[in-house]
Amino acid sequence: MSLFASNPWPKMTSRDEFRFLADVIFARSSGDHTVVTLHDERAGTTRFADNRVIQNVDTRRGLLTVTVSFGRRHGTASTTDFTAGAVQGMVARAERIARAAPEDPEYLPPPDPRPFPVRETAREETITNGPVRRHEYANEAMGLCRMENLMAAGIVSSSVASVGVAANNGLFGCETRTEAQFSLTVQADDGTGWSAAAHRSIDHLKIQERTLAAIDKAKRSREAKDLPPGDYPVVLEPAAVAGLWSWLIWALDAKSYDKGTSPVAGQLGKQIVDKRVALSNVPDHPDLFGVGFTAEGLPSEPSQWIEGGCLKQLAYDRFTARARGVKSIPTLESPIFSVKGASFGSVQELLKQIDRAILVTNFWYIRSVNLRDLTLTGMTRDGTFLVENGHIVCPVKNFRFHDSPLRVFQDVGIATVPAEAVTPEAGKMLAPAMALPRFHFSSVTRF
Amino acid sequence: MGSPTWDEFAELALARVRRSGAEYGDIRIQHRLTERIKGEDRRIASVCDDEDNGFGVRVLYHGAWGFAASSVLSLEDVPRVADLAVELAKYSASIATEKVQLAEEPVHRDRVATPFRSDPHAVPLEKKTRLLLEAMEVLHNEPDIVRSTAEIWWCRDRKRFQSTEGTVLDFDLLAVNGSISATALFDGRFATRSFNLPYLRHGYELIEEIRWPEEAIRVAREAVEKVRAPAVEDGVYDLVLDPEHLSLTIHESCGHPSELDRALGYEANYAGTSFLTPEKRGAFRFGSPPVTLVADNTEPGTLAATGYDDDGVECQKWDIVRDGVFVGYCTNREVARKIGETRSRGSNRADGWGGVPIVRIANIGLEPGEQTLDQLIADVKRGIYIEGHGSYSIDQRRYNFQFGGDAFWLIENGRRTHMLRDVIYHGITPEFWNSCEGVADRSFRRRHGFITCGKGQPVQSGWMTHAASPALFRKVQVIRGEGGS
Repeated sequence: MSLFASNPWPKMTSRDEFRFLADVIFARSSGDHTVVTLHDERAGTTRFADNRVIQNVDTRRGLLTVTVSFGRRHGTASTTDFTAGAVQGMVARAERIARAAPEDPEYLPPPDPRPFPVRETAREETITNGPVRRHEYANEAMGLCRMENLMAAGIVSSSVASVGVAANNGLFGCETRTEAQFSLTVQADDGTGWSAAAHRSIDHLKIQERTLAAIDKAKRSREAKDLPPGDYPVVLEPAAVAGLWSWLIWALDAKSYDKGTSPVAGQLGKQIVDKRVALSNVPDHPDLFGVGFTAEGLPSEPSQWIEGGCLKQLAYDRFTARARGVKSIPTLESPIFSVKGASFGSVQELLKQIDRAILVTNFWYIRSVNLRDLTLTGMTRDGTFLVENGHIVCPVKNFRFHDSPLRVFQDVGIATVPAEAVTPEAGKMLAPAMALPRFHFSSVTRF
Repeated sequence: MGSPTWDEFAELALARVRRSGAEYGDIRIQHRLTERIKGEDRRIASVCDDEDNGFGVRVLYHGAWGFAASSVLSLEDVPRVADLAVELAKYSASIATEKVQLAEEPVHRDRVATPFRSDPHAVPLEKKTRLLLEAMEVLHNEPDIVRSTAEIWWCRDRKRFQSTEGTVLDFDLLAVNGSISATALFDGRFATRSFNLPYLRHGYELIEEIRWPEEAIRVAREAVEKVRAPAVEDGVYDLVLDPEHLSLTIHESCGHPSELDRALGYEANYAGTSFLTPEKRGAFRFGSPPVTLVADNTEPGTLAATGYDDDGVECQKWDIVRDGVFVGYCTNREVARKIGETRSRGSNRADGWGGVPIVRIANIGLEPGEQTLDQLIADVKRGIYIEGHGSYSIDQRRYNFQFGGDAFWLIENGRRTHMLRDVIYHGITPEFWNSCEGVADRSFRRRHGFITCGKGQPVQSGWMTHAASPALFRKVQVIRGEGGS
């Protein structure tokens, strides 16, 4: 089928075109500082449920944003219309705001220009083959499920985006970024199983492997048993670990730290989790979504956030960084969470060493309960099992947990090497599966 | 020669769809203007004025959907996008195992506009920022307040919906909101108290009707009282829930499970399914007899009362739960027929031109009872009065939930006494609603809206309003929201 042969993807805004647009905006702006950002994206999703395609969508959205400042007064405007009149209107709106806004004591001029790291943020196969692959992969996943008389629901998506930042002090960055995602929930009677993948290359989604994993989970999840709530040893798979860690990462905000409203307030340089735990930003890792620069115009560099369990780094806004004398602001868009000495290559290998524990595939609807100690709540989802003597014994009904990552990661048991962890709530990181000796489940649901 | 009109763009797209042999197609052209003014810690942190223009074409070809959208509204892109939508629908049709059949809907030609007295766009920015700065200043007059926020938001949508069936609808919709919050620090603890306008389809008069300095004084004092309050003791309590708090309880535990697409498995991979499966309709006791939950997308001022939904279906009013029994779903033209209904309830909405419409929670509200709030509280020996939104989480079939709140007061022997902190309650949805013993009368009814209801893949934000009077729930499990075990 010559799908899309007659309808090629429209050309995205190129680096030169963005530079031209930025120069036009700088010429039109009378501000002391003018910063322009670009996000021009084409994204498509093939969504299926009940073993059939329920949505097949493709959207092109270009977005230009300009921030203009007069002294410490600043205003921001954006538009999805790239015509000359609309761009001029956008600049005028930002200027009007900046002239009327009160002075912002925390305003800072744009960062000084500097070369940004050049990374492989775009994969040609995702751009060229994305739309066709979405359909092929969706069909493959549904087909594998149909063969087992199981129901599939999921998505295959791909996108390409031109992303840029420029300022009238010479700051300039523009790069193409691609992304492809697959996620699948398989239903086997009353049991469900889930798997997900995300990569810059649509060729790396491992559809068959992921689908078979979700099928296996779903089949094992039938007729879940009731276990009472309480404290249990657990084995968390990478997605479940990532769900908890994303909140811990959120807690590292430097301004909240300084104001005393962070759960890690006063802990910089101190041990906050198990001594073997580390968190780093690895933007050059080929399986992560590393970028060259941030929307603020800061370079993305490798950095160490937690080392030996000690908190080494906070997440700074530029004002707080300057107030604290921090010269290089770290970013954390490519996180790897690891446990020193972890040697298991897979969850299955790790499980062989487990006497008794609850195996958690994923968490769902994680929300903070108390930001003082980072107590969180959430539900287990799509594959929760009792493990005894190295084997999965039976599925168990889903639990609600009520616990803090700052407590549970104080004592980490055996773990795997970091693996792909993709969740709809936490995005993508590399995280290990790990055993934790005590995890608090506060209630049980009906399935 | 002037620029093409929305009429011409719509005709251009729909002509391509008709020529393709598709049985149905529609186009939504939208121009959205949003202003958000954010104050933080006594300063105006940002003022953003966003223009979001574009269009989306939806095609049903041989019983299967395709959707394409673009921010480039031009004579070149409109036919390209229409053709792409057809192509996507053809692909879907090539592997379809079941054909979508749309419920019938009369052809409509109408224009819907939000009535308002004061255009927020015309209000000088200086006036808006001054209001926020003064409110934050008042918040910080309380010595223990260490952080503050203040925000004004408004959004205006001008939209055209046009279908191959002949429906042509024009919209000019406005929504406004404002909020403040204060965080108090005491003895190493911190606690936040907030005041939120209800997100309504009004003009700037919604902001101007509020006495912000008085609200700021109250919010700051209550933040300080909250951080110094004793923590709740775990146990079983009666709960009296205020309308703002109930809006979230209704949304999560009744609204989402009443979305028929969820009950049919469309959201199984993300937002989840529903314990309210179709065979339960008309037979399942969702709540106690005082519990009647009505979907009303016709109530003026509410977020989902847009005249028509994104299927071009007229907004309606219907029962979800009547006298405690589950009786109705939120539907669209695609899923209505799957449960034997001949007409959609008109609850199909996209969050903008770039999103494909999906079933959304309607304006579901709890019908008032006959008691006063004082009478509800007087009947409680040991309980907690809860205001506002806090932590919330619920499983993917909407059974097991857990809610916090923004402020809590201990009720002892029929009287509201001092504040508590760290109150969390949890339960199973039908058990909880069956513990409802009474609802206050219509004079206590308040409305609260949501604009960030996440659903769909790619995820979209849904807008709706939930109204309620305070209600009394018996014997609910409460735990202290702190620590692990």
